[in-house]
Amino acid sequence: MKRISRFILGVMAVGALCVLIFGPRPEPAVPPDRERDVVIHYWEKWLGPEYEAIQQVVDDFNDSVGREKHIYVELMSMSDIDQKTLVATAGGVPPDVAGLWDPMVVQFGSLGALVPLEDLAKAHHITAADYKPVYWNASHWAGHLYALPSTPAAVALFYNRRIFQENAAKLRSAGLDPDRPPQTIDELDRYSDVLTVYVTDAHGNRHVQRVGYLPMPPEWDWYVTSMPLWFGAEEWDARGRRFTLTDPGVIRAFEWMERFPRKLGVATVSEFFTSQGGFNTAQNSFMLGTQVMELQGPWMANYIHHDNPSMDHDWAVAPFPTAVPGLKNVTYCPFDTLMIPRGCKHIPEAFEFIAYVNRQDVMEKLCMLHCKNSPLSKVSWNFLHHHPNPYIGVFEELASSPNAHMTMQCPIAQEAGGELTAIVQGVLALEVDPKPALAAAQVRLQARYEEFEKALNRRMRAAN
Amino acid sequence: MTRGEIRNLLKGLAFLSPWLIGFGVFMFLPIVLSMYYSLCDYNLLQSPAFIGAENYRALIHDGIFWKSLRVTLLYAAISLPAGLVVSLGVAVLLNVSVRGQAIFRTIIFVPSLVPTIAAAMLWRWMFNQRLGLINRALEPLLELLHKSGPPWLAQSAWVIPSLALMSLWSVGNTVIIYLAGLQDVPRELYEAAELDGAGKRQQLWHVTIPMISPVIFFNLVMAIIGILQVFDTPFMMTHGGPNRASYFYTFYLYDSAFTYLKMGYASAMAWIQLLLVLVLTGIAFGTSKRWVYYQGK
Repeated sequence: MKRISRFILGVMAVGALCVLIFGPRPEPAVPPDRERDVVIHYWEKWLGPEYEAIQQVVDDFNDSVGREKHIYVELMSMSDIDQKTLVATAGGVPPDVAGLWDPMVVQFGSLGALVPLEDLAKAHHITAADYKPVYWNASHWAGHLYALPSTPAAVALFYNRRIFQENAAKLRSAGLDPDRPPQTIDELDRYSDVLTVYVTDAHGNRHVQRVGYLPMPPEWDWYVTSMPLWFGAEEWDARGRRFTLTDPGVIRAFEWMERFPRKLGVATVSEFFTSQGGFNTAQNSFMLGTQVMELQGPWMANYIHHDNPSMDHDWAVAPFPTAVPGLKNVTYCPFDTLMIPRGCKHIPEAFEFIAYVNRQDVMEKLCMLHCKNSPLSKVSWNFLHHHPNPYIGVFEELASSPNAHMTMQCPIAQEAGGELTAIVQGVLALEVDPKPALAAAQVRLQARYEEFEKALNRRMRAAN
Repeated sequence: MTRGEIRNLLKGLAFLSPWLIGFGVFMFLPIVLSMYYSLCDYNLLQSPAFIGAENYRALIHDGIFWKSLRVTLLYAAISLPAGLVVSLGVAVLLNVSVRGQAIFRTIIFVPSLVPTIAAAMLWRWMFNQRLGLINRALEPLLELLHKSGPPWLAQSAWVIPSLALMSLWSVGNTVIIYLAGLQDVPRELYEAAELDGAGKRQQLWHVTIPMISPVIFFNLVMAIIGILQVFDTPFMMTHGGPNRASYFYTFYLYDSAFTYLKMGYASAMAWIQLLLVLVLTGIAFGTSKRWVYYQGK
């Protein structure tokens, strides 16, 4: 028995040794001729075509500036990148470059998780003048530059011109012009009413077959929680460090969203939401022609072309209408960011890559591949005329407008987003009255923010 | 201890060491640390600052905490008995010797192999108020009652019953455990009951259920633990909505930890959750003497 067990043990030990010696090895990520270069680990959130576009830019860098300066960028795509970056940073093994989102500038910046980039930017002659103000300002927190943009966005009204023309007579008889999109929220409602089609089923029940306009499903929180901007209001006062959820403009925006389930029925709104697999899929109701107008970003052109090319010439873009007379070119500008997490071992080399991406030619290439506008103040003729979105000029103008807004610069913006999304869900289900819900959220969020400030002060005192 | 026994003990520990080290480093240590973090202000990036019971105090005054707890307990109150009854019922039916028994068993088990994300997408469509399969199937009945189909996922009142209904989709694993238990029931007990004049229903009530009561108890305990940790389905199907009506406890815990970066607060929530699981399983164990029958005892 003893012999048998020793034999089995021996076989297992030899097996383990063989696996160690001859077992699988990771493929070398760095080409043999670049082994002596500084390797920059770049984590990105994107998958699919957007990832491939970034890979092209990384390859270009590795073959040009990288080769010259002996820097090699290794790109890795991953899900839940914000959490993984945070955990890796806390563990002291962060990536050199993290491709995150704009709200993390404040959230991570306030936690001291990011390397300030202002001195590096200065050394590379990167200044505020190079960027559209909305993106440059949103890259800062507490006086520090914590990120530079990769691909940005601005949102606008996408409308189906074909359906407008097919319903020209109806629109005209309602006193509306079928040759132009709505310019005010009131007009948007009127266009929407005319273009909404009801059908009656065999049992005599009335259903909505096509809707004129509908807010995005609440799970795409930033589309719905940014709605007050078009009502001339914001949900956070950065200077006063106060939530402003009881601002009349904010309340009006939420009350406006409430009108859709009241008019169309909760079931219809829910039916449109549950039927959508995601705005970037062929199930999107705008692409299916069951919704005539939608608030979207420039990328939609790519998705339409890919999922429903027959619609390529049917749609157009205009600034989203506003509810305040004289208020024009209002937009919300979220963007992807490139950041250097605290603890990065190759800061100058990492920034070399970030600076490369922010070169006008490189940025325009990347933004065209992602079908987005540029964060830079200057754009080339080629960018405007060969962009896959033929209305890119509208987005460029919107992003440059003084009424272009960034994500709320609040360290607890994520928590506020969750709170506001819950209210939108309740409003769209007609279960929540916007005004008292916003008032209650105001009290809760302000208290949370004050707790955050208290904790921050406590940590600062402890550090001193 | 003799030298031989010591040698054997060391050998045993050496063989156990991968598990022991793994458990120590990846389970025991984090559990102990999370207890400490629950008493700290901790955001992962900065050193934890001790704040005593502040997180627990804040939780008591946190409306969302109470709401998420209510949502979870409501779901447990519906899903737990429904799951146990349905899976036992299905197991009893699958235990009947009929042609195609293996096929029926496979059909019941297959849904539990479907990935949660795929099931969530499928059920989103099934719950669609007008186009969904469920309301379509209910149409004749609804017409008789002059009612329209329920807005399954769109209204707070319906969302938890909908998710509980969906949970029945994956009872396959529990059914398999019941089936194993049912096949262990001695045939002679049924024969004796039959001789005493017991019908099928009486046999089920007086023979089958007492004999498989340890299996029912096992499934009950596992269900209590599992249901209090529900996360993935509401995360994908409803995002906690509408109006936080499906914002489960674990969902809030996840948000607190990884979205709001309040690790201390989330650790306090985790400890309360553990306490809740302990209390409920303790109640189950406490009452088990009255209704669980072990053969040979």
